[in-house]
Amino acid sequence: MAQITSFDRRRVNGPDDSFPPIFSDEDQPGSSSSSPLQRESRKPKDIRPIFLQTGLITQANGSAYIETGNSKVVCAVYGPRQAKNTSYSEKGKLNVEVKFAPFASQRRKVPNRDAEDRSLAVLIHQAIVPSVRLELFPKSSMDVFLTVIENDGIQSCGTAGTIAASAALADAGIEMLGLVVSCAGSVMSNGEIWLDPTTRELEHSRASLTLSCMPALGLITNVSQTGQVTPQEAIQCMDACEERCSDIHMVVASALHKNQSAL
Amino acid sequence: MNQDDNILLPGQPVTIPNGAAPDLGGGLYLKDGVIRASLVGKLSRVGNTLTIPRPRPHPPAPESVVLGSVIRLSPLQAVISITVVDGIPLPQGEDFTGVIRVNDVRATEKDKVKLGECFRGGDVVRGIVLSLGDSRSYYVSTARNDLGVIFATSEAGATMDPVSWQEMRCPKTGKLEKRKCAKPDGL
Repeated sequence: MAQITSFDRRRVNGPDDSFPPIFSDEDQPGSSSSSPLQRESRKPKDIRPIFLQTGLITQANGSAYIETGNSKVVCAVYGPRQAKNTSYSEKGKLNVEVKFAPFASQRRKVPNRDAEDRSLAVLIHQAIVPSVRLELFPKSSMDVFLTVIENDGIQSCGTAGTIAASAALADAGIEMLGLVVSCAGSVMSNGEIWLDPTTRELEHSRASLTLSCMPALGLITNVSQTGQVTPQEAIQCMDACEERCSDIHMVVASALHKNQSAL
Repeated sequence: MNQDDNILLPGQPVTIPNGAAPDLGGGLYLKDGVIRASLVGKLSRVGNTLTIPRPRPHPPAPESVVLGSVIRLSPLQAVISITVVDGIPLPQGEDFTGVIRVNDVRATEKDKVKLGECFRGGDVVRGIVLSLGDSRSYYVSTARNDLGVIFATSEAGATMDPVSWQEMRCPKTGKLEKRKCAKPDGL
């Protein structure tokens, strides 16, 4: 019975149950055989390389695709359009919607079951809303749609989503105070700080923290933290994140430059 | 590479050329005494105003010249669907709603205006945005010589030509229909 109710004719329905393929142990680099407290292939303060391209979705006013390691997010921006069914507002409205593809996680996920996507949308909205000059868009609304194609570390979905949304808004020609970039860090069980954690690394973390900022202006737009940390650890983590953010800002800047000069 | 350097990004400080302090136009803002860009693009200077020109569609603002087609007529107001703002067409389905109130149709004899003798459904109208209006629509005016109906079809279905500022003629039947015509460009 449960299977029948979850059947949605409007979607391409996958099989009822699916399981991750079983790899032989040597194929899996970060398998449990190695110590979970030793980071492989990168240093604790290193982030995964970022690929960012804007303007891929031609129907949208602005768009961006971002890939960092195995986390992949697409973002499309529509508007500014006339806000329907709302009272008069002097400022514009920014709507952020996040969706996970059914195949984004290790196990197939039925869409719209948990609040994970909505909480991520709130996080991204809070991170980018201070940067948008909403006072220039009276009575209008802008829609930001994000789709998580692959999720490797929920923190990195949030950071990648924030970067992609800001790049897409810039691509859409929406006036902003500055570009927003975001970086995540987690405090491991031994007290070390690892930036840009993957899903596997998050399993061994005690807490995690996401920081969003506008490096061009030196302003922080949003900090969100989960788990248990001491104040010192939180400050250390924020400093490390902020340092990396200026590197990420360069990536976003060069992606926008590249797209602009290709026009 | 040198061309790349001219492209500004949001948040980037703008170096001002020497001389009098310029006025800031669209795409720039002043914060803590520093002029910064808020759009991706190149700086351009028209007169004493610095702007980053934006070729993308933007919502109407007061003083914008808009084009729209009449979708609803009542004795008090004509509702238009705005599809072009300042010469830039809006994307499909992202039109704005505008209202031409009966006393915004023309500048003289405002009290004698009958809307049915100024517009018909489907007419394309050029107007200027008066104000942001209420929650649903922008207030648009056609009270200027160059504003009014720029395209209309007659009852016979042919595209009509303006013959005076109040009348248009159908080329098929020769009948005159009443419209508040815009003065054609170059006359």
